[in-house]
Amino acid sequence: MSTPLAQRLWPACLSALQLDRFRMGELSGAAAEEVRAHVAGCTRCAEAIRVLSVDEALPPMRVVPLQPRRSSLWRRRAAAAGVGVAAATSLLFVLRPAPGVRSKGTAPALSMYVQHGGEVRRAGPGETVAAGDALRFAVTTPVAAYVAVLSIDPQGHGSVYFPLGARAELLPAGQEVPLPIGTRLDATVGEERIVGLFCSAPVELEPVRAGLESGRGTLPDGCQETRWSFVKR
Amino acid sequence: MPVIEVDRLYRTHGHIVLRRARTLLGSEHDAQEVLQELFASLLRSPGSVRNAGSIVSWLYQATTHFCLNQLRNRRTSARLLEQKPEPEAAGPRAEALAEVRSLLSQMPPQVAAAVVYHHLDGMTHTEVAEMLGCSRRQVGYLLERAQQTLQRLEQSA
Repeated sequence: MSTPLAQRLWPACLSALQLDRFRMGELSGAAAEEVRAHVAGCTRCAEAIRVLSVDEALPPMRVVPLQPRRSSLWRRRAAAAGVGVAAATSLLFVLRPAPGVRSKGTAPALSMYVQHGGEVRRAGPGETVAAGDALRFAVTTPVAAYVAVLSIDPQGHGSVYFPLGARAELLPAGQEVPLPIGTRLDATVGEERIVGLFCSAPVELEPVRAGLESGRGTLPDGCQETRWSFVKR
Repeated sequence: MPVIEVDRLYRTHGHIVLRRARTLLGSEHDAQEVLQELFASLLRSPGSVRNAGSIVSWLYQATTHFCLNQLRNRRTSARLLEQKPEPEAAGPRAEALAEVRSLLSQMPPQVAAAVVYHHLDGMTHTEVAEMLGCSRRQVGYLLERAQQTLQRLEQSA
């Protein structure tokens, strides 16, 4: 590195990448030894590696990788609950029949599972949950549908729990199918409202989220929604 | 990559992403968002890192990509570029970073990435070429294209 700009921005001789790969154990024996020898005699690189190595606490992953093994507690609970899902009482349906979508007798449904400590329970209406609990949703839909799960937190902020993309995601027909991602609750207390969206087309979710937040949104054409809430204490 | 490994990777390597995003964006809040978004993307497409020869290199590339997208987003960029450096981050490097940030948002994607790798990370042209998947000659060309834009910063050094 020879330019003044580069020296101002990265003052060490070895690149940040090389030093990071070295300290994370990615370099082979000879390459690692070469870096080690250089750093031992170079104050700039020694300082750079010290800065790179500063240990800092990370926040929990917001999207919780809860995808279970086939025999996991989440899946067993979901399968057990699926037997009686048609009678799920936790959901209030505001139905608007989707053009071209035919019901086979089972309405679209959203259910929620809460992991508190090591225990997983199926949530009921008005469920009380705590900061740090992990949530996972499962959906039942009689036909393939574009699905999204949104929420309004106690401060009125709208967010999309599922999917991670900008549009509702196509899911096949099924009962109590766990969504591939969950979330972990932050410390905000109060009532959080959940909206499950089941659509016949891949609707854009930002207008839906904004509509929920403003309280003036309308259900997109071809969608049905389910609503419920839980309380964070 | 099983999702449980994404969680492990987050804990062992997440700090690399956070530190890098903080440098590129100059905002703790936005850096935290990039950290979360990047690992969420791994849950969607775990194959991308599984096939990488070096996890650290992949994280450098992915973080650069996420952050440059943020800087190119007009609204995000305006907010980020208006920010003053945190008092503890003040100094010649922080000031230079703030200026480079504003220039990166105006550069074509591959030119901006080359500038980040070479000037902010101190990579050699060979290392930059490996990161971008192009030749050293191409790296030289990209940095030359950036040079005119960076001239002002060079002169103020």
